Amino acid sequence: MSRSRVAGPLRVRARRLAPVLLVIAVALAGCGGGRDTHTQLHGFVRTPPQRVGAVVLPDVARHAPAPLALRARPGQLLLVYFGYTFCPDICPTTLADLHDALGRLTPAQRRRVAVAMVTVDPHRDTPKVLNGYLSHFFTSWHALRTTSPVALRRAERAFGARSHIGPKDRHGDYSVSHTAEVYAVGPDGVVRVEWPFGTASADIAADLRTALAREAQPST
Amino acid sequence: MRHLTITTAVLVAAALGVAGCGSSSSTGSATTAAAKPVTVTAPWTRVTAPQEKNGAAYMTISSTDGDTLTAVSVPASVAGEAQLHETTTSGGSMSGGMKGMKEVSSITIPAGGSVTLKPGGYHVMLMDLAKPIAAGATVPLTLTFQKAGTVKVDAPARSS
Repeated sequence: MSRSRVAGPLRVRARRLAPVLLVIAVALAGCGGGRDTHTQLHGFVRTPPQRVGAVVLPDVARHAPAPLALRARPGQLLLVYFGYTFCPDICPTTLADLHDALGRLTPAQRRRVAVAMVTVDPHRDTPKVLNGYLSHFFTSWHALRTTSPVALRRAERAFGARSHIGPKDRHGDYSVSHTAEVYAVGPDGVVRVEWPFGTASADIAADLRTALAREAQPST
Repeated sequence: MRHLTITTAVLVAAALGVAGCGSSSSTGSATTAAAKPVTVTAPWTRVTAPQEKNGAAYMTISSTDGDTLTAVSVPASVAGEAQLHETTTSGGSMSGGMKGMKEVSSITIPAGGSVTLKPGGYHVMLMDLAKPIAAGATVPLTLTFQKAGTVKVDAPARSS
């Protein structure tokens, strides 16, 4: 490999570097997710955005299940994820990424973000199992579980999410296929942004900061 | 001179493309001898919550001559069964696709190439965990290859 001359006009060196930089830039650009250049978010924003505030699901994180409407508290964001605990790859990865993303926020920012998981496998994900599972990733959470397939479908449809319980194997086990986005819902019940599986935790954190900055904090 | 620069650029870009866009992890030890035709690098497994009945292990497998991974096993003290799985995506373009999973009978490693088992792609599914995979633990895996035979790998557990 030839070495570039130390001395030499900067102009000529730049011209030689240009094709190198251009090809590298193109290669790196291919790595990007769905960057929303208008709102400076790394995740995706649907137009029109999903309105999910009317969705109500039982929150079994409390001793007595209480209905939770899918909208954030004033000044906050509610992160919603559809998954199940028997999921070996996608769900633990997503929740670990979320955990990492939340860890990148300041305590003040972290306090303004709530996490809710909706189980797509209520038969095996009992309240005890679901709460134990979520306690592995978060210090506080909403564990949303409905045994009504109709209620689950309705909730999924509002987000544009889907799930499908697969066939049982010889052990009686089954996998559940499901959309794997994490949705950030605002106090008005409108999804602000969603992150597909694999979104880097740094990007999720950056979007959280951007989205939080847009939410007016309630004056106390 | 110009050709060399562009060639270098293309090689760099190709290397970036192959390296992938996510953060790469390279902890863990390869326990295979250098003489074997397959090399396993960066094996790892995820720490599991006690409620998790299934776990997953990941790694990169390289082969000079090309080989096929046909089976994987773990001791009963770890899990009831280990299987090769692939996470699949159907529908959706960049968002909204359904993630599924299917068992695969084998994974082919191209000659002079490698295959990375990683979240969202191929993985070893550890089914019916005997006990939670704890931080600091190591899961011993036995991989069976068509040509290389059995290869033992220790996958250290980490959270992410």
